[in-house]
Amino acid sequence: MKTLLKKGFNQLDAVFSRVFTPAWNPMYQLGALGFFYFWIVAVTGVYLFIFFETSISGAYSSIEQITVGQWYLGGVMRSFHRYASAAMGVTVTLHLLREFAMDRYSGPRWFSWVSGVPLLWLLFASAIGGYWLVWDVQAQYIAVLTSEWFDWLPIMVDPMASNFLNEATLSDRFFSLLVFLHIGIPLALLLGMFIHIKRVTAARSNPAKGLAAGTLLAMLVVSLWRPALSQAPANLDMAVTEVGLDWIFLNPYPLINSWGPGQTWALLVGLSTALCLLPWLPSRRPKQSPVAVVYPPDCNGCGWCLADCPYEAISMKEHDYKPGHKQSVVDPDLCVSCGICAGACPSSSPFRHVDELTTGISIPGLHIKELLSLTETKLRELGTEAPRVLLYGCDHGSVVEGMASNTVATISMPCSALVPPAFVDYVLRQNLAEGVLISGCCEGDCYHRLGNTWMDQRFAMERMPVLRTRVPREQVRLRWLGAQGTSELGRELIAFQQELRENSAVVDPIRLQEASNG
Amino acid sequence: MADATRYLGQGLLYALFFLPIVYFTHEPQHRHLAEDMAELKIAVRHAGVTIGECTDVQAGAYTPLPGNKQRPQICPRERSPLELELLMDGKPLYRASVSPSGLHDDGVASIYRRFTVPAGRHNLELRMNDNVAVEGYPWVLEQEVDLQPAQVMVASFKDGFRLQ
Ligand code: HEM
Ligand code: SF4
Ligand code: SF4
Repeated sequence: MKTLLKKGFNQLDAVFSRVFTPAWNPMYQLGALGFFYFWIVAVTGVYLFIFFETSISGAYSSIEQITVGQWYLGGVMRSFHRYASAAMGVTVTLHLLREFAMDRYSGPRWFSWVSGVPLLWLLFASAIGGYWLVWDVQAQYIAVLTSEWFDWLPIMVDPMASNFLNEATLSDRFFSLLVFLHIGIPLALLLGMFIHIKRVTAARSNPAKGLAAGTLLAMLVVSLWRPALSQAPANLDMAVTEVGLDWIFLNPYPLINSWGPGQTWALLVGLSTALCLLPWLPSRRPKQSPVAVVYPPDCNGCGWCLADCPYEAISMKEHDYKPGHKQSVVDPDLCVSCGICAGACPSSSPFRHVDELTTGISIPGLHIKELLSLTETKLRELGTEAPRVLLYGCDHGSVVEGMASNTVATISMPCSALVPPAFVDYVLRQNLAEGVLISGCCEGDCYHRLGNTWMDQRFAMERMPVLRTRVPREQVRLRWLGAQGTSELGRELIAFQQELRENSAVVDPIRLQEASNG
Repeated sequence: MADATRYLGQGLLYALFFLPIVYFTHEPQHRHLAEDMAELKIAVRHAGVTIGECTDVQAGAYTPLPGNKQRPQICPRERSPLELELLMDGKPLYRASVSPSGLHDDGVASIYRRFTVPAGRHNLELRMNDNVAVEGYPWVLEQEVDLQPAQVMVASFKDGFRLQ
């Protein structure tokens, strides 16, 4: 099922990236969109609250007044409030499915996953509370079934449902409680959202500006075309017969009525528990390789690895034996062995005059010295025909293995950001290849969150360690096309080689070398 | 892709996102109650009769309070559970036995139930026993009702049953 979901998302990604560009691709920022919709709901909610009357008789009519009397502002605010909540429900559901499909929920990511589950409850509770305040027939339906649902719990001494027996039993007090809850629960949701992203380095909680603007515009059009309206006013002396439901948030309600409260509790609590346990369930996912190891002699305490680790797994402490220096420390509970830190360490340079390459931090699964020997061996095995290209790839993005040929050497690793920029410099300087192509996950959607972003920045000299100025940029290429872009990467590779071939300055050194050899 | 085509595509995708949202926030209509049905709710909140008699404090018995603060009697606090039965047109629709609330079973007992019943004329009979010392049902109400479709009729209890 996961594979199927993943295929689906990959196809959606491709479509959205074409139409929205990768930077605006909503699929890559579903969580951030969730935040964005939350803010819209919060702002419009404050406005609506100013006009809302907290009483049985006032609730419905004050909302009608906002909707009809003030359609151009209050009405639009109300529509934004409703549609942004619904959009939040949809985006968050997609976000959950996507993190699942892309295998981004286990290991140290369990924290984000598990802390996401209560957010679902809070989100639903917020939305249900909002519909309740309107006090139309849908609210009546909610009132009766919610209270019956809660009355099933043994904690309820006085049945809540006795507040909603008929018109005579309804009291204003209950409305005050509702308003209090409809402010308190969303605040708890916001707090939960911040906890949810607490462990995520540089979490993206704001969508791209263009995407935000587009969403707002689309919502405005929708709000003017189909404003959010109330249904008929509630009347507890008449049972609800046929009712329009918000199926996004009220979908459990028909179950409460037909299955009964107990079964519905069992289903929802059971589902939530299963979701929470998911990160620890056995799956066919490969076992995690050993976590990053710090090698104190080569650590100068620069903190670059700390800045680049996407999982907040690195911190700094006093150096083991160099007084006044710092040294990095890896928290094995948070490290996912992506190797990005090794690519960030200034000691990961093949130009260093050492017999065996060591570095400040590296993953045992693919130590920097192994990456170097792999790189050198594979490139030396290539024929002499130019241009030779070194293709680095990652285990989650475009599949590079199949692209090896007698002019192309390929190496795949946990994350392409494991490659220190100095390696690229080295390969070209040593004439091991005429071109280096680094590929990986889709732009803006790195499996290790920030790998391709860091690579772009290192190569643009905006982030340490930089790719030095002396490296001829026409011989280097970064392509973030993802697994679904594997065949496109193949075409890019051919085009890259073609360009290198046409650029005689690049190919010449080999000829010269060949000439001198023989 | 040219810019114009791209924005057009974005408009299309926004529409694909928001149209289902607009639709599913109020459609399809949900039929909660069939057309010719009505609702009957029982809501009883009542303290059962206390179990056992008060007993006189024997003269000279040990008591923790000084003589002038002593009460002349010791009364049990535990209350009877409620036994409730609802019959419609002679057939039992609901039967329940509900314990009192409170740590010492000394609080009120609450019953709430909602039934969906066919609209029309019915004979309703409510019976309740709130005293374990008594056999049968000290509280009874039998009444003919004519329920309109979707009408909500509430059976409550205060010194006797009431149908509203
Ligand atoms: C109110 C609802 C939610 C909001 C606003 C929200 C928002 C976010 C944001 C902004 C991120 C950081 C994304 C990044 O920068 O990489 C994130 C990450 C994550 N979310 Fe949510 N989320 C919500 C609900 C959920 C739910 C229900 C789940 C699943 C049960 C979930 C699972 C995750 C996971 C596993 C990550 C970690 C991704 C990583 O470490 O790469 N979220 N969320
Ligand atoms: S391997 Fe990845 S997760 Fe582990 S410390 Fe290095 S950068 Fe952080
Ligand atoms: S990047 Fe390397 S040298 Fe710098 S703190 Fe990390 S391990 Fe030490």
